[in-house]
Amino acid sequence: MSRSLKKGPYVDERLFRKVIVARNTSSHLSIRVWDRACTIVPEFVGTTFDVHNGKTFHKVYVTEEMVGHKLGEFAPTRTFRAHTARAAAAKPA
Amino acid sequence: MPRIAGVDIPATKRTEIALRYIYGVGPTRAVEICKKAGVDPGVRANKLTEEEISKMAAIIEQDFVVEGQLRRQIQQNIARLREIRCYRGLRHMRGLPVRGQRTRTNARTRKGPRKTVAGKKGVKEMHRG
Repeated sequence: MSRSLKKGPYVDERLFRKVIVARNTSSHLSIRVWDRACTIVPEFVGTTFDVHNGKTFHKVYVTEEMVGHKLGEFAPTRTFRAHTARAAAAKPA
Repeated sequence: MPRIAGVDIPATKRTEIALRYIYGVGPTRAVEICKKAGVDPGVRANKLTEEEISKMAAIIEQDFVVEGQLRRQIQQNIARLREIRCYRGLRHMRGLPVRGQRTRTNARTRKGPRKTVAGKKGVKEMHRG
């Protein structure tokens, strides 16, 4: 179910303040975030975040197209494991 | 055979059914189009008058995105997800289910034919514990 419109998008307020401060001081340092559920709002565009994935921080440079998504969507929490094309070719089914 | 929305040539079926041969028109829209055009949804498609056909074609063109344009729109939406490298985009790239379904078993539509892996537990073993 989608979020109630009455509430508006979920934005971490402390993070939002940090972003505003960073913008006003034109600081280009990345901001560390643990709140992966925080929605990306237009004010975030052009800021770099270090989004926690449970283990390390994943650099995310926010572009206009990312608005409306959550920060966590850009920092994968799982390691993708697949067989390489070579291994698959060497051992055909 | 009547032609609506470009290449589509619905058959000798009831209008409400024939319209569904258009990509982007399903049961709901088919009835909606008939209603708007004042066409009996039960009448066979080959019994429609030119006037009725052009009326329905106009409604489709005006109100809905169908066929090639719709296909392109969908592809663009997916391409956008890939480009911004978000989770859903990554799932599309890897050919895995996008909406949080399990992948330990099933998910064959996305993953394609089974690739047998030695030592992997099947569904039966999983239930035995």
